Amino acid sequence: MKMTKIYEGSHQWLMFGRDENKPNDIIDTNQYLVRTASRCLLIDPGGVELFAPMLAAVLHYAPVEEITDLFASHQDPDIISSLGLWDQALPNAKLHASGLWEGFIRHFGCESIEYVPIQDNGGVITLDNTELQVIPAHYLHSSANFNIYDPKAKILMSGDIGAALEEPGAPIFVDKFEDHVDKMRFFHQRWMPSNKAKRAWIDRVRDLDIDILAPQHGRMFKGDDVNRFLDWFDALQVGIAE
Amino acid sequence: MQGKSQFVAVASIAAELSDVMDVAKEISLAAANAKAIAFRAGEKAKGFQPITDFINELAKETIGLVDAINEQAIQLYQLAVNEYKMTAASNTFDQVNRLAMNAAYASSLDSPLERVGQNKLECRKQFQNHVEHLLEQLGDVMHPARAARVIAANSRIEASQAGEYLQSLQAVAESVDNAASVIHGNVQRCRSALSIISFSD
Ligand SMILES: [Fe+2]
Ligand SMILES: [Fe+2]
Repeated sequence: MKMTKIYEGSHQWLMFGRDENKPNDIIDTNQYLVRTASRCLLIDPGGVELFAPMLAAVLHYAPVEEITDLFASHQDPDIISSLGLWDQALPNAKLHASGLWEGFIRHFGCESIEYVPIQDNGGVITLDNTELQVIPAHYLHSSANFNIYDPKAKILMSGDIGAALEEPGAPIFVDKFEDHVDKMRFFHQRWMPSNKAKRAWIDRVRDLDIDILAPQHGRMFKGDDVNRFLDWFDALQVGIAE
Repeated sequence: MQGKSQFVAVASIAAELSDVMDVAKEISLAAANAKAIAFRAGEKAKGFQPITDFINELAKETIGLVDAINEQAIQLYQLAVNEYKMTAASNTFDQVNRLAMNAAYASSLDSPLERVGQNKLECRKQFQNHVEHLLEQLGDVMHPARAARVIAANSRIEASQAGEYLQSLQAVAESVDNAASVIHGNVQRCRSALSIISFSD
């Protein structure tokens, strides 16, 4: 599991991914960790297959007892099927996830972790002095779906939005946007069901000051590529299955 | 403990128990029938009447026991799931421990590791205890089934003095005997399925 620090300030953002030991038949995912003075939030902690390499990687940067919060953008297994094992590792932690998905996500095992339901209009997660905004991104692609925005670090963790199906070991940032588009098109057209929902999300996100757009699969977008992505996504027709 | 064979054993016990339940209900029906016949036979089947009551009692007792065992079997399933999950978790935590060997905060894993190991042992112990308890209860079900067979044999003798009712009473005795032997067989299979999982590790 590779770690890349994507923000260093009063707190830190770490990105984990590109695990070389991952079985080939499961999709590669990016996990994000926000570390403040005494707490850590693990964003989209990943599938059950990934639990051991993920926790082992985190232990290089934080002790178990400081992993106090988990966030699941939606209910998919590549996002949160590791929950049952985190539940054993972090008995006092909180899981922030959609209230609508609670009865479903609990199938992964959530006995000691506290499930903190997120309302449809989002909310705030506070870690020490850092406030993270939970931004609604419903139907992109999951019917109850959220992003995390950090106004200080100017990072938007966008879940499956902006995801690309990549070769193993791909770089972590988009370098040539035009070349990247082909790796995203099918994913967005096929998995994102609603043009209307896409419109609402773009309107909401255009108002945010974003340096890095950080999806759960593939490469992150930095600087001007963030707007390039928003323009491209804006023009794309979604909800298409041949 | 092999996870898969454990779940299969618990599921097959549930299936056997539901068969036992059906058969016990058949016996109770047969007893009611026998009672009606014996009543019509009057004097000729005097010896048969208390026997039918007794058969009915045994059927009821069996139904009650199986009800209780069913509940236990559902709990056993839950314990099997827990045990399986905790064993898997414990193996995964060992893997984390190996992978995190050089990590700065590797030692923070000590207490979760110990907790998971403890939980695993605790789940295993609970499962084993429950299996033993269930084995005892299954032994109890054998008693009414055995008694029913003895009574069935007696009924045949009584039936032979019942004149024109001979055949119908003999049929009753036969069906009670069959049912009791089916129960005996089912319970025996439950017990051997359970004893396999209770000693494997
Ligand atoms: Fe997804
Ligand atoms: Fe995903």
